[in-house]
Formats: sequence, C-alpha cells, structure tokens
Amino acid sequence: MPVLLELSGVSKRFGGLEANHDVSFTVEEGQIVGLIGPNGAGKTTLFNCISGFFPPSSGTIRFAGQDIGGWPAERVLRAGVARTFQVVRTFAEMTVLDNVMIGAFARTNRTAEARERALELLAFTGLVAKSHAFGSDLTIADKKRLELTRALATGPRLLMLDEVMAGLNPVERTQAVELIRAIGERGVTVLLVEHVMEVVMPISDHIVVLDSGQKIAEGLPTDVVRNPDVIAAYLGDKYRPAEETA
Amino acid sequence: MSTAPGQSPRRWQWLLLGALGLVALVFPLLFERGSWLNIAILVLLYAALAQAWNILGGFAGQISLGNAAFFGVGAYTSTVMLDRWNVSPWLGMPVGALVAAIFAVAVFFPFFRLGGHYFAIATIALGEILLVLFSNWGYVRGARGITIPFVRGPDRRPTDSWAYLQFNDSRVPYYYVVLGLAVLAFTVAIAVNRSKLGYYFRAIKNDQQAARSLGVPVLRYKLIAVAISAALTAVLGTFYAQYLLFIDPETTMRLELSVLIALVAILGGVGTIIGPLLGAVVLIPAAEISRGQFGGSGNTLDLVLYGGLIILISVFQPNGLVALSSRFRRRREAGPPAGTRHEPGEAPLVGAPGGNH
Repeated sequence: MPVLLELSGVSKRFGGLEANHDVSFTVEEGQIVGLIGPNGAGKTTLFNCISGFFPPSSGTIRFAGQDIGGWPAERVLRAGVARTFQVVRTFAEMTVLDNVMIGAFARTNRTAEARERALELLAFTGLVAKSHAFGSDLTIADKKRLELTRALATGPRLLMLDEVMAGLNPVERTQAVELIRAIGERGVTVLLVEHVMEVVMPISDHIVVLDSGQKIAEGLPTDVVRNPDVIAAYLGDKYRPAEETA
Repeated sequence: MSTAPGQSPRRWQWLLLGALGLVALVFPLLFERGSWLNIAILVLLYAALAQAWNILGGFAGQISLGNAAFFGVGAYTSTVMLDRWNVSPWLGMPVGALVAAIFAVAVFFPFFRLGGHYFAIATIALGEILLVLFSNWGYVRGARGITIPFVRGPDRRPTDSWAYLQFNDSRVPYYYVVLGLAVLAFTVAIAVNRSKLGYYFRAIKNDQQAARSLGVPVLRYKLIAVAISAALTAVLGTFYAQYLLFIDPETTMRLELSVLIALVAILGGVGTIIGPLLGAVVLIPAAEISRGQFGGSGNTLDLVLYGGLIILISVFQPNGLVALSSRFRRRREAGPPAGTRHEPGEAPLVGAPGGNH
C-alpha cells in the first residue's frame, strides 16, 4: 500500500511547553490507524498540526507527496484531509442538511449539487431523517455523527476523527464503530484519535501510541497492548512488568 | 393574515411580497406632495442600507458600526466627480461603489484580525477618522461641504434631469430611483443568501474554526461580505447626495448614521431577508413623525419617544420584528415547530432563522 501521510520528526512547542516531540509515523492508503495515548499525551495537538490549525515547530508532514506542514486549514482540506473536533463544533443555528452542505461546498460551487451530495451522505450515515432539525437540537451522539458526515462531504482521502467515541453509550459506540468501518470500505483512509483503548483496537489496522508528546510504541493492535511502555503509560509505572494485557 | 388550508406559508409570503410591491409602486400617486413622500423615500433608503449592513452583519455575523464610512465614500466619489469634472452621478455611482469596495477590503483586512468587540470598536473608529479627515480635506471642501449645482432648463429655472439624477419639480422620480436601488439591495441579498456565499457566511457566523476545518477560507469570505456591503452602501450614498443636493462629512459619515443602519437591521431581524424592511418601516416613520410632532423648540421629546420604541422592541421582540410572524404562525397551527418549516438552506423570508423553535 502506498504511503498517504508521513510525519517525520514533528515537534510542536508552546513557549516552554513541548506538546509534541519528534513524532514520526506513516499512514498507508486504505488503512484505519488508531492514534492513542493517555489524556494530555499530545494527540489533539498533533491533529491540529496535521490539519493546519497550528504550524508544526519543526519536522515535516507529507500528504500524498506534498509537504503540507504549515499550510492553512482550508488548504489542507482541499488537499484531501478532513477532521472532526473532540469538543463538537456543530453549526448550532443551521439545519443538519445545511451543516453538511458547508462540507459539500468544498467540492462544488453549485447549491443544488451541494444539497444532493449532502443528502446522499446523510443517508449513508443514517441522519437523513433529521435533515431539517437544527444543529443545536441534536443529541451528543448525533452531533458527532453530523460532524463526521460534514467532514466526509468534503470528499477527503484522509479522515481524521478526534475522539468520536467519547461521551457515547455502548450502543452508540457500536454504531460508531460500524460507521467507521463502512467509511473505510468506501476507500477513505481513517486516522482515529482515542484515549479509550478498547474501542480502537478492534477496528485499527495499525496503532500509534503517544505519551507526553512522544511516540512510545507503534505496530499491530495485538502487539501494542502487550508493550510494557504502553501499559506503563496507561496504568502507571508499577504495572510495568506487564503481568496482564489490557 | 389567514390563509386557505393547504397553502404553504411560503405562498402567502410571496403574496404578501406582491401586495407590498404593488403598494410601493402606486404610493407616490397617492402622496405626491408633502412629507409622506419624503418619509417613504427615507424608509426605502434605510431598508436598503440596513440590507447592505445585513449581508455583513446579519449573514456573516461581523457587526460593523462604521458603514456610514462607505455611505460617505459613495456620496463623495460621485459628488466630487460631478463638481470637478461634470460627470453624471449615474457614472459616479458605480465608481463610488468600486472605490468603497476596494477601500473596505483594504481597511477591513487588518480589522478582521481583531476579535469580537474590538472589531466593532475598530469600525466605529473608521467612521470617525474618515469624518475628521474629510472635514479637513481642502480638495473636497472640508467641513463646508459641497453644494451640487442645479440643473437649469432653457428658462434658467431649476429643472428635472434623469441624466444628472436631479429632480427639482417633484420628488416622485427620487422615490422610484430609491425603490429601484432598494430592490437591487434586496435582490443581491436574496441571491447571496441562496448561493455558496450565503452558506459560507452563515458558517463563519456560527463557528469560524469549524468553518475552516471544512475548507472555508474565512478571511477571504469576510472580505467578500464587506466588499458587497460597502458597494451597496456607497450606491445609496450617491443617491442621498443627489437627493439633498448638498453633502458634508457630518451628514454622510456621522456615527449616528452607522448606528441607525445597524439598528434598523437588528430591530427588524438580523440575518433575515425581510427584517431590514420591517425595521425601516417601523423605525424611520417613528423617528420622522415624532420629530415633526414633538421635536420643535429643541425639547428633544421626540428622541425620548423614539428611544422608548427601541427599548420596547428590544425587550418584547429580542429576535427582531420578524419574530412576530412566527408567533402568529405558531398560534394558527399547532403543527411542527416554526423553525423546521422553511426551505432548507435559505434564511426564511419571514421569521428568524433558528430562533423560536
């Protein structure tokens, strides 16, 4: 599989605080990759660097052969990288359909075409019945689903989801996992940020683990959960001997 | 406002609009002389100015208290061209719109870096700075202002001239000119509202970070919004200069004018198409009539009444006068919530978007 996204030596400093230090990994086209780590590991910061919300302090980010490090968000999006937010950012005073149309307008200037594309994706994500509800009236699960639909409407090659599972109940989580699988089957590469390991493990082809801003492990889900550094990062140093797997 | 069963609310909105249009067309025939025609002209002028403001402040959510600057630029551009080179205001009008749009983009480029309230404060400063500059600028005759010379007929008496947009016999032609300009402003607003521009403006108003994440070039679209707003405002500035046949910095650029433009749109209903018209229809006659009835002898009772009206609207109709219509509608049919009924994607013709549901 060709490499779609390649980070090498990416660091991000805020004054004296280094949120990301020398992070390198690659995402192959068609994969679902989980980016995990405890709270404060620097996952969201890394997301913001890739999606153009912050410029990285050093290192390079290559996407589909282009160096996108430091590009503004809208340009990164047009290159084919879409993202959602950890804290949902639904357009509250707009309908569900209008929310998704904003995404669709990234690929067309025509209102009718944007509407058609939005309805098609709402049908795919199962929100079409709520097309005319306002963003502010949705449950948290539906808001997350809407953000995902909206991001998908921009026609990305890489979809980056920032903690889509957080705040969902077990049933909603199962639905979300199914949806992410279905997105993967449409040929979209997915980079998934989560701090809850058990939701990422079953759907990820590859896992990258961050702790304190650095990559501490990478590999197949089954290998990563046995990695002593990963267990220590999640459970504390006294569990380092790795007597049990998570 | 009752409708036959089965008729969509959209249909009676259009009927209402048609009736309004008819009234607007025959109005001058009924009130050819006197202050009513003057009030009608001012209503249309402010409805159009408020709609121009609405594109920037209502759709895109960028509250400007400096739109009088664009009004002044429009008035001065056409008037200086007329005064110095005898160029018809019909040519000065688009030139003024272009100058205002370029000026707006240049000035608002840094303004848009300011967050929240500081943006609004900067727009106030813009208007005030321009006022002081023009008051001291000899080329445009400073604070003394510019008097537009009469167009005279063969008998040396002031006469009407469509070519020079000046009417001395009757004000009726002014009425039809400003009616045309108001239709222009509303047509532009409707077109913007339905297009990608309108969607992107609303996304920017709702959440700029989310808009960026979906590929909206936020700064560029804000600049487009201010350019459209400025150009339309400037066109009306030219009209106003020709209507008064005299301009000075005070009449065309004062802060009160900027505030009134915003106020008409806000009290009418921000971000809706019909709001600016409603606001103008209520506020402008209220201001003019109370000034006529109570404003003499400097007792400012008119301002007390006018201020009282503004307070009443903001207390009882915080979403603007358009929200009254959804109140009626809800009472008439206890059907689905008012907010879900308008066509997706467009700000409703009547009724606040997203409010009252």
